[in-house]
Amino acid sequence: MPDIDPTEHEIAELGPKIKDVDDADELRAMLALEEDGEDRVPVKTLIEDRIEKVEDEGDGEMDPETVDLADLTVADVANMVREVDDGDVLRDLLEREKAGQDRKTAKSQIESRIESVEGTEETEGEETAEVEYVPPEEKYPELDHPTNDKQWVEGTVGAEYRDMWVYCETQAGELVDVSKEMLGKARELMDTYNEDYDEDERVVAVLIGSDASDHIEDVIAYGADLVVSHEDPRLERFRHQPYTEIFCDMARAGGELAAEGREDVAWKDYHEPRYTVFPATNNGRDLSALVQGELDSGLASDCSGLYIESAMISNPAKVGTAGDKKEFERVLHMKRPDFSGFEYSTILCIDKPNRDFHPQGASVIPGSFEMPDPDYERDGEVVDYEMDLDEEWFTVEVEEYDRLSGGVDLTGNDVVVAVGRGIGDDPTQGIEQALDLVDAFDEADLGLSRGVITSSYSFDSHVEQYVTEERQIGESGQEVEPDVYIAAGISGAIQHKVGCDESDTIIAVNTNPDADIRDFSDYLIEGDLFEVLPQLTEAVEAGELGAMMEASDD
Amino acid sequence: MTDAVEEYEAVVVGCGPGGAAAAATLARNGVETLVLERGVDAGSKNVSGGLIYAEESAPYTIDGLFPDFREEATERPVTENVIHNIAGDKVKSFDIGDLHHHDTAWADAVLRRKMDSWLAQQVHERTRETGGGLLTEVHVTGLLRERGEIVGVTTEELDPIKADLVVAADGVNSELARDAGLMDWEDPDEWFQGVKAVVDMEPGVINDRFDVAPDDGAAHLFSGDLFDGVRGGGFLYTNEDSLSIGTVFHLDSIAEEHAEPHELLDSLLTHPLMAQWLGGEYDEREYSAKLVPDSKKAAHPSPHKDRLVLVGDAAGQMQAQGPIIKGMNHAVTAGALAAEAFADARARNDPSQAGELYEKKLHDEGVMDKLRPTGYKVFGQLGELSPVDDLSNAVADSAVGRFGVRAAAGLLERAYSSPRMVSMIPDTKLPYVTLPTVIAEELGEPVTDENTVSPPDLADRIGDLTYDVGDPHIELVDNSFEASGTAVTACPVSAQDFGGGCYRDETVKTNGSEEHLVSLDTQPCVECGTCAIVADTEWEHPAGGKGVEFKQG
Ligand SMILES: Cc1cc2nc3c(=O)[nH]c(=O)nc-3n(C[C@H](O)[C@H](O)[C@H](O)COP(=O)(O)OP(=O)(O)OC[C@H]3O[C@@H](n4cnc5c(N)ncnc54)[C@H](O)[C@@H]3O)c2cc1C
Ligand SMILES: Cc1cc2nc3c(=O)[nH]c(=O)nc-3n(C[C@H](O)[C@H](O)[C@H](O)COP(=O)(O)OP(=O)(O)OC[C@H]3O[C@@H](n4cnc5c(N)ncnc54)[C@H](O)[C@@H]3O)c2cc1C
Ligand code: SF4
Repeated sequence: MPDIDPTEHEIAELGPKIKDVDDADELRAMLALEEDGEDRVPVKTLIEDRIEKVEDEGDGEMDPETVDLADLTVADVANMVREVDDGDVLRDLLEREKAGQDRKTAKSQIESRIESVEGTEETEGEETAEVEYVPPEEKYPELDHPTNDKQWVEGTVGAEYRDMWVYCETQAGELVDVSKEMLGKARELMDTYNEDYDEDERVVAVLIGSDASDHIEDVIAYGADLVVSHEDPRLERFRHQPYTEIFCDMARAGGELAAEGREDVAWKDYHEPRYTVFPATNNGRDLSALVQGELDSGLASDCSGLYIESAMISNPAKVGTAGDKKEFERVLHMKRPDFSGFEYSTILCIDKPNRDFHPQGASVIPGSFEMPDPDYERDGEVVDYEMDLDEEWFTVEVEEYDRLSGGVDLTGNDVVVAVGRGIGDDPTQGIEQALDLVDAFDEADLGLSRGVITSSYSFDSHVEQYVTEERQIGESGQEVEPDVYIAAGISGAIQHKVGCDESDTIIAVNTNPDADIRDFSDYLIEGDLFEVLPQLTEAVEAGELGAMMEASDD
Repeated sequence: MTDAVEEYEAVVVGCGPGGAAAAATLARNGVETLVLERGVDAGSKNVSGGLIYAEESAPYTIDGLFPDFREEATERPVTENVIHNIAGDKVKSFDIGDLHHHDTAWADAVLRRKMDSWLAQQVHERTRETGGGLLTEVHVTGLLRERGEIVGVTTEELDPIKADLVVAADGVNSELARDAGLMDWEDPDEWFQGVKAVVDMEPGVINDRFDVAPDDGAAHLFSGDLFDGVRGGGFLYTNEDSLSIGTVFHLDSIAEEHAEPHELLDSLLTHPLMAQWLGGEYDEREYSAKLVPDSKKAAHPSPHKDRLVLVGDAAGQMQAQGPIIKGMNHAVTAGALAAEAFADARARNDPSQAGELYEKKLHDEGVMDKLRPTGYKVFGQLGELSPVDDLSNAVADSAVGRFGVRAAAGLLERAYSSPRMVSMIPDTKLPYVTLPTVIAEELGEPVTDENTVSPPDLADRIGDLTYDVGDPHIELVDNSFEASGTAVTACPVSAQDFGGGCYRDETVKTNGSEEHLVSLDTQPCVECGTCAIVADTEWEHPAGGKGVEFKQG
């Protein structure tokens, strides 16, 4: 009699139970019980599958040195490698997997086994092999352009790094919100850091642009101790070459690789920043990658969390000796969501024995950190960073540009004249007449219902430019609150209403006196808009609108 | 390059009942499973009538896979079943308990938002353990192919994902089934359109008006002459504290008759028979709609290709057993069988067999016989040829026929309760309209109640729905009225002479000539799928998390 009588269980419970049974005979006994009892097909399949599997594992003892990986599922691979202790055999398996199906999950199973196998040696205290450093030129003599992980830019070792640098992006003359969020976070991190390590390191704000100096006061208020800014009219729009050159020049000032004439600066006496933080905006992503590359370090892009802590590291490439563990201090932990959004990876940027990986750099997703309250009483040091910008950096010219948001702004008008699908009989004329009425007022503009914008009406070219989503009033368009809102041929759907019902006076023109707009308009002129709009225009031009309204009020 | 692509053992697209069953069964077999759902929450896109059945003969049931299902995710069980034949104000009601109970272990009313979100939570917990999980707000746009073979999926929000098994449980408007060339959206006669209102009602009031105990519920079905000759019928199910009232019609009939689906629903809501249940006040929580496949014609006999398997509505596995609608239960069975097939195939070291094995299981387990009954092929389709239909209509309506109806009242009631009979019902006016009408005229009693309900108009129904407006997801390829005008009436949120709908009828004057056109605004769209079939469109789902969000479903 087997331990489990399948007929006493639901299929759903059986699955996990059967998985733990490894004895084929017991499984066969279970199968017999099921056949005599409820005889459920899926249950039988389940048991049969298990029998097949157990027997496979039992007799066919796989030889990891010869097995054909293509026959194995990832789970089989995982089970097999658990039994293998020889690093070389594992590495051979890994090569074969790479040459074959190259399954990511299978590879990671083998790799993690290698790691744990090699790790055991370490605890057993056998000889620890020094990881030998071979420069790329020697390692790959056959290459004409040998690189290690990537081409060396600096190759600095053991230099001094201090401070947290924050690139403060501006757009169209405004300091963008994420710049303030980053400053707030940097302030918080460095305050704790200075306390923990008994240091006096600073939050450094970098401002680059044609209006850089306009934002100095703000960045100090949001948390900077030191502001390094460079202003030049040519920097009105972001271009990655000059921006990268400037940022790196600043970061290197006073350090081992400082540009000529900037070897000694009063405000900085270390090699490069300890930490750099950039916004993960279009321009910030661009700049962060280039700067970190130029400074010969790494970048954790699109982070949503940052903290500074020590980290125990056993990776021999970082520690220098296989099997050693080493504690690295003051490591910026950069948390970022993985592709799916439900797992996070924490990225560390750590020096190697023969090469520094500093600054530890991150770009930050806007909105990840709280917007701090500015404190305009704060003091900060300001450096107007002087350097000559090479004309070569400006060979790319920005001739034209467009700002996506913005567009037509209908708010702030005294009067908005809006038309809807009531213009359907002659759409071009409807828009023309509405524009005439707009012109009759001093401060007025044209609005539209969504119904017009999404119609199949064909407009003559001279009015076509007006029929765009930029003029849509309502839930998915603009909300306006002028003194007077004129809604002609608009039924007054709830989604339209929310865009205009804060207006002081709403005048509706509609052939249907029972249209919904009646419920929220002050005046409803029952009539054909093609007749009423010209009359309104005349009345306004003659200064008689008020009188006309009073007339229709009673 | 291979490293750039995420890989899972299985990817399940859609977390309705089909996807949930597939994912749970895969997870139980230790398969690393990623589930992708386009809604902000599973269920936010889904609509059912909805009675979910657990069939005694089915290899899998929803509560078998999710043991707490009935406690956590359903409304009331159905303890009373009646079909009402209606002619004017005359009604003849038959008890169809036998049909309902045939092969039924239990049947509960459900609201999909609640049901699917609960399922999704379970699915997420179980699939996480395998190294996968459930991701919402991801719209799968199509199939990933390598050298012409399906190897995974592409999405709007994420990088392509590879998998050894792709389960398309993406419902009636399956973009994957279409991409694979397994299903098309051509013939209106392969589909029904369902429209539904969820009506607010206190539990105590429901108990009184339906004369049921607090833990019991009722199912009422309606057919006859109240739907202007459009082929189909109505339903009313009791939930815990609301009613689900709706209509399901053959799409070809809606198209031909230029019927306005919301008006047909209103015909039911305002019929005097409803007064006893609706009382004086009427508070509609939600208006919704969705296409429903007709398995008799649409169920794919071999729903797989390469690594792709189709389950549930995506494979057309929605059985209309006469007036009883069974889609969710078959989606569950199919989802679990597909998963089981993959586990078997994997155990045999040949995951590529999964599709074949799944097809075999569908046949061996008797699912295919239910979906495509042989009786229908012989008898039902014959009845659909129009001379035969006209003749039988004429006979049923003739004096002789009427005499037969009177004489055979008992027999008729039994016939309605026979699962074999109803599975062979032809898709013609005879069973849906003519016969019920004649039955009511000959046998019915007039209803004297006055129905004072005035349902909200379309603009208010749209206004009450929640939308997260995104880019237009439907493109009108041919905007002439000839090609796409049917959508003006058939779209459940559009209507003739209504400017606030998706499809609008427009006469456009250009240079002296007049053109009859339709225009489209997808903002009020409830993603039912109707215009993919009745109009000339490029139809896709909106991006993940965008579009309509049902709170009831
Ligand atoms: C009015 C009406 C009444 C009905 N009454 C009943 C009834 O009483 N009983 C019954 O059993 N059945 C009924 N049905 C049918 C039933 O609703 C369906 O058969 C059932 O929901 C099918 O389940 P499914 O899992 O195949 O698909 P669905 O439940 O439709 O689930 C598909 C899922 O996939 C997601 N999805 C779709 N496309 C994508 C994509 N590209 N990317 C990511 N996710 C995607 C959707 O958001 C959804 O969550 C009714 C249907 C209607 C419309
Ligand atoms: C999620 C969502 C978001 C939306 N967002 C918006 C939004 O931001 N803004 C918006 O406007 N809409 C929006 N809509 C659409 C909205 O619901 C309506 O469809 C739209 O406002 C209708 O436009 P209309 O009033 O011009 O057309 P209709 O509703 O067709 O009204 C036309 C009116 O003109 C009258 N009329 C006809 N002929 C004449 C004539 N010769 N003279 C005078 N009157 C005449 C008719 O009596 C009728 O009242 C949204 C809808 C949804 C679902
Ligand atoms: S536009 Fe098409 S998919 Fe959307 S609700 Fe109307 S018919 Fe359905």
